[in-house]
Amino acid sequence: MFMQALMAGLSVFICFAGNYLTGQSMLERPLVVGLVTGLLMGDLKTGILMGAALEAVFMGNINIGGVISAEPVTATTLATTFAIISHVDQKAAINLAIPIGMLAAFVVMFLKNVFMNFFAPILDRVAAKNGQKQIVLLHYGTWIFYYVIIASISFLGVLLGSKPVEELVNNIPQNVMNGLSAAGGLLPAVGFAMLMKMLWDNKLAVFYLLGFILTAYLKLPAVAVAAIGLVICVVTAQRDLELMNLPQTTATNKRKLTKQEEEEDFFS
Amino acid sequence: MKIARNLSKADKKMLRSVFWRSWTLNASRTGATQYHALGFIYTLLPVINRYYKTPKDQSAAIVRHTTWFNATMHINNFIVGLVAAMEHQNSEDPNFDPNSITAVKASLMGPISGIGDPFFWGILRVIAAGIGISLASTGSVMGAILFLLLYNVPAFLVHYYALYTGYAIGASFIKRLYQSGGIKILTKVASLLGLLMMGSMTASTVKFKTILQVSVNGSKEVMKIQSYLDQLFIGLVPITITLLAFWLLRKKVNVNIIMFGIMILGIVLGLCGVC
Repeated sequence: MFMQALMAGLSVFICFAGNYLTGQSMLERPLVVGLVTGLLMGDLKTGILMGAALEAVFMGNINIGGVISAEPVTATTLATTFAIISHVDQKAAINLAIPIGMLAAFVVMFLKNVFMNFFAPILDRVAAKNGQKQIVLLHYGTWIFYYVIIASISFLGVLLGSKPVEELVNNIPQNVMNGLSAAGGLLPAVGFAMLMKMLWDNKLAVFYLLGFILTAYLKLPAVAVAAIGLVICVVTAQRDLELMNLPQTTATNKRKLTKQEEEEDFFS
Repeated sequence: MKIARNLSKADKKMLRSVFWRSWTLNASRTGATQYHALGFIYTLLPVINRYYKTPKDQSAAIVRHTTWFNATMHINNFIVGLVAAMEHQNSEDPNFDPNSITAVKASLMGPISGIGDPFFWGILRVIAAGIGISLASTGSVMGAILFLLLYNVPAFLVHYYALYTGYAIGASFIKRLYQSGGIKILTKVASLLGLLMMGSMTASTVKFKTILQVSVNGSKEVMKIQSYLDQLFIGLVPITITLLAFWLLRKKVNVNIIMFGIMILGIVLGLCGVC
């Protein structure tokens, strides 16, 4: 059992951590995870079939806007492992995958949004000291650290067996999950506040409100908000150029046009 | 490859290093307030070290990029290339306003992801997975392999061209802008666009929803507090929290205190059953 648990952890690490090292190359999708798990467990065929079935289940499942959806890597690994080693029926294993995926998504959310924040002050500190070696170390160190924790969920899951995992999944207090999810939902506010501090200009502050309203009330996608912003920018730039060129009377019209074009091909 | 031909040997060497580093841009994790800032810095290190010679200038550039960064993988390399060109200009011209780099970055993240997310996650991945599933359900190894190839070959091309296009456009555009003296206007409109996009991203990314409800005597319906909050102003809590965090930052309150404060606030609200 220990070896198989280790293999399950390894499978998660290869797929999940590997995915982010290779530019989100989709190693984290059930199709690939099933194959890798099957390969490591010595039952390639079951792995591939589980992967195909779970890919269809998790196809539409991408994390949009802070809502917890299932995490496919841990779900596929554990479901495939249970199907192979505990001879759980494939259909039952697929049904088990969904609650496991939700539990894993919750752990991932907590790690990503809350726990890993402890490393933010460290980055600020080494950045201020130009500690480039530490930056490289931190970059790969947090990567390994984060995915080893996630991989250990599957390690423990296989070690405990499918029954206790099922029970655990059904017994987490709802308000604990809600609290962490609320904290995760509010935390990006700090990131935006830091960016705003750099961009802030009292005369331009009103545009922050405009952007908020366009998205919150009119539900416009980011591209549409940016396009509206572009229009405002071009108008503003034209007016500012006129003001800048006021002293020079002749030849302004020509130059104005070229600058305007530059604005446009930059943002388009 | 046409874009790469106009570059000098040193440019090519630098961009090649940036290119390989950029694959790991989303790998590291330093929490929800920085997101992929660390990966961005790591990717940009060859640029920073080439253009800035003193440790003081280098660390100033690194600190500049410790801010929140998140955009769709592959196409985000356009921003990397553009920022590389702007850092170049900043290192040569003492009058360059470094804030324009942050402004350009902040204003491009949203729209870049707006184009990238549906393309990569919606179209490319779904097509590749559809073909992969049909092969894999017959038990063939080719299912997963074909899935990876169908997704990653186009992704690789976008990844490459986004970086070089960003750098080439950035270099020529900023140079022309400098000669015409329009950089002040650029900084202003980029800040304008950046703040607009910050507002939009606050609305779409910062989340709060209360499940509190009050039942009233004589009425069967329960009153949901959230719907009252929404009637007052949609997203009232997210915008208040963001502006509060911003105000505290301006009052020189340490960012970590604000961060842990919000974290504790969220957990307490959840435990009390507010959300």
